[in-house]
Amino acid sequence: MKVLIANRGEIAVRIIRACRELGLGTVAVYSDADRAALHVRLADEAWHIGPSPARDSYLRIDGLLDVARASGATLVHPGYGFLAENEVFAAACVDAGLTFVGPTADAIARMGSKTAARHAAIAAGVQVVPGAVEPYAADAPEAAIVAEAERLGYPIVVKAVAGGGGKGMRTVEAPAELPAAIRAARSEALSAFGDAAIYLERRLIGPRHIEIQLLADHHGTILGFVERECSIQRRHQKVVEESPSPVLPADTRRAMAACAVRVAREVGYTNAGTIEFLVDATGEFFFLEMNTRLQVEHPVTEMVTGVDLVQWQLRIAQGERLTVTPEQALTPRGHAIECRVYAEDPDRQFLPSPGLVRALSTPAGPGVRDDRGVAPGFEIPVFYDSMIAKLVAWGATRADAIDRLARALNEYRVVGVQTTVPFFQWIVRQPEFLEGRFDTTYLDRVLASRQGQPFVDVTDADARDAAMAVALGAWFRAHGASTAGTGDSGGAWRRAARFEGLGGLGS
Amino acid sequence: MTFEIDVGGRVRQVSVEPLGAADGSGGRFRVRVDDDVVELDARPTDLGLSLVTAERRVVDAALTALAGGDWLVELPHVVVRAAVDGRRSRRAEADARGAGQQRLVAPMPGRIVRVLVTPGDQVAARQGLVVIEAMKMENELAAIRPGTVSEVAVAEGALVEAGRLLVVVE
Repeated sequence: MKVLIANRGEIAVRIIRACRELGLGTVAVYSDADRAALHVRLADEAWHIGPSPARDSYLRIDGLLDVARASGATLVHPGYGFLAENEVFAAACVDAGLTFVGPTADAIARMGSKTAARHAAIAAGVQVVPGAVEPYAADAPEAAIVAEAERLGYPIVVKAVAGGGGKGMRTVEAPAELPAAIRAARSEALSAFGDAAIYLERRLIGPRHIEIQLLADHHGTILGFVERECSIQRRHQKVVEESPSPVLPADTRRAMAACAVRVAREVGYTNAGTIEFLVDATGEFFFLEMNTRLQVEHPVTEMVTGVDLVQWQLRIAQGERLTVTPEQALTPRGHAIECRVYAEDPDRQFLPSPGLVRALSTPAGPGVRDDRGVAPGFEIPVFYDSMIAKLVAWGATRADAIDRLARALNEYRVVGVQTTVPFFQWIVRQPEFLEGRFDTTYLDRVLASRQGQPFVDVTDADARDAAMAVALGAWFRAHGASTAGTGDSGGAWRRAARFEGLGGLGS
Repeated sequence: MTFEIDVGGRVRQVSVEPLGAADGSGGRFRVRVDDDVVELDARPTDLGLSLVTAERRVVDAALTALAGGDWLVELPHVVVRAAVDGRRSRRAEADARGAGQQRLVAPMPGRIVRVLVTPGDQVAARQGLVVIEAMKMENELAAIRPGTVSEVAVAEGALVEAGRLLVVVE
C-alpha cells in the first residue's frame, strides 16, 4: 500500500518516516524548486507536479490526484499547510476513491471556517473568545468591518476565516491601523489558503495559548491528550511550544481535554486534530479554534506520551481502533520543548534568509529530536514557509528539558543561511521563560523593547576567536583548501547583496 | 600572511604563519592577534575549521565566506560577522556619516507586493518605501534617514533578486 504525501519539507520527511515504520510505500511530490529536496530523496517515488510557486504545484488538486492515480497510491496525507485544511481537496480525494488521512470534508469545512467552528463550540457547551459572529467575504466593504471593530472595542485581532499557523492574522491596537491590517491579512490569507475572507475577535488580557491534541477513530473513540503550551509567539506565529504547560493545574487539564472531546464529538470528528484555547489571567479558558490536521508542534506530545501521532493518523485512516488509553494520553512523562528553526535572520527583524545550505551539523544524543527538511547542498526556496526544522528536547523535568535544549542549540549549526537558532539561545536564558511567566503578548513586547539589539553578546574573547578563525580560513583558502563555507558561489553572492541591502533597512 | 579583521567595528591585525609542514590539509600555525601570539593546530572540517590551541582549548568554527571579504563565523554559542581587510569598516563609516544617497535594494529574493512612494515624495526616517513578500511573509522596507524619493526602480508585482535596486532617496 502506498501513501501520497501532498506536502514538502520537514513535514513530508516526518510522514515518510511514519510510513516506513508501518511498512507503507511513500510517494513524494515536488515543484521545480524542490527537485533535490530531502523529502524527495527519502521517498520511494517522486513525481514532479509543476513550477515553484505553490499555487502552481503543491496547491494543485488536479495534479495531485493525477499523481495518486498514476502511482497507485491509495492514501493521501496532506501534512500541514498547503491543502491540509482544504475541504475541496479532502472531498476530491474521496471522490477519486482515495483515503484522505484526516477528518471528513464536512468536518474540515465546518471547523476550518473559524466562524462556523465557534458555533460548533457553543453548541457543545464550550465558552468561546468574544468576537464577530459572521465572517466578511473578500469583497465585503471595509466600512462594515470598521463598524464591527468599533462595536467590539480595541484591541482586536483580524483573522483569516480559513487561517492557521498564524498566517493571515493581525493584531490591531487602534482604528487607524485597521485598514492596513485588513489588507495584509487578506493578501496573506489569499496566498496561503486561497480564501481572503476574514473575521474579528476581541483580544483577551494576558492570554496564554494552550491547546489539546485529539485522536478520534471511526469507532466512536475520541481521546484528548495532555495540553501543549504555545504562548511564545512572534506575530501570532508559534515559535516555542512545550508539553505540559508550566502553569496549568491537573484538574484544568482534564476539564479542557473533556471540552475538546465534546467539540470534536459535536462535529463527528475523526483522525488527528487540535482544539486551541486561550486561557486568561484568571485561569478561565475559551475555545479559540480547531485545527483539523496534524500540528507543527505534535512532537512535544509524542515525546511526553510515547504515542506516535502520525502513525496513528495512518492507522485510523485505515479503520483501526485506537488502543491508546485516556490515562496514557493525559499523563505526561517528563517535559518536552520544541523550537521552530526558521531560515530567518533574527538580528535583522527576522527577515527571510533563503539560499544555499552549504553545510549542516545538527544535534543528537539523549532526549533530542531534530525533525528537519533540508540537507547540505539544498537551496532553500523563496516560495514556501521559512521553517526548516523542529528541534525538540525532552527532560525528566522542565528544567532538565531546558538545559538539554540549550545544549542541543549549541550543536545546531547551519552554514550558508541565517537561522533563528541564536534567538532560541537567547530565549532559553530569559527569566520569564525559565519561570514560565509569559503570555501570547510576551515575545512581541520584549522584542519591541530590545530595539534590534543582537541576540548574542559577542565577548572580546569570542571576537578574538572569530578573528583568528577568519584569518586562518583566508589562509586555507589562499592555499587551495576548500572547507564548506569558504568557496564563492551564487548563494554567497546573493547573501553579500543582502548585506549591502541592509544599509537601507529600517525597523 | 597578515590580515586586518574587523569584528563589530574593532579592527585587529592578525598574522598567520605556518609551522613545519602545515599545508592546505592542516597543521600547526603561529597566529598573532594584535600583540598576542597563539600557537595552534588547525584542520579544515565539514563546517569550517577545527582549532586546538597550545593550551588545548578547542575552537570549532563554522565559516561562511561572503563575496567581497565579509565572513560569518559560527562558534557553538555565538555567530560573529567579520570583515577582512577593511571593506566593512569603510561602509560602516559611510553609514555613520548619515549623509548622501540611500539606495534601497532587495534584501532577499521576493515579490514586490506594494510600492508606497513615488518620485518627489518627502519621506521620514523609518517610513515604509516598499513591501516585499518572501517565504509567505510580507516585509516592509523603510528609509533609514529622511529625504526625497528621487527614483522608484521597481513596479508592484515584480519578482526581484536580492540586491536589486528598488528605491533611491536623496
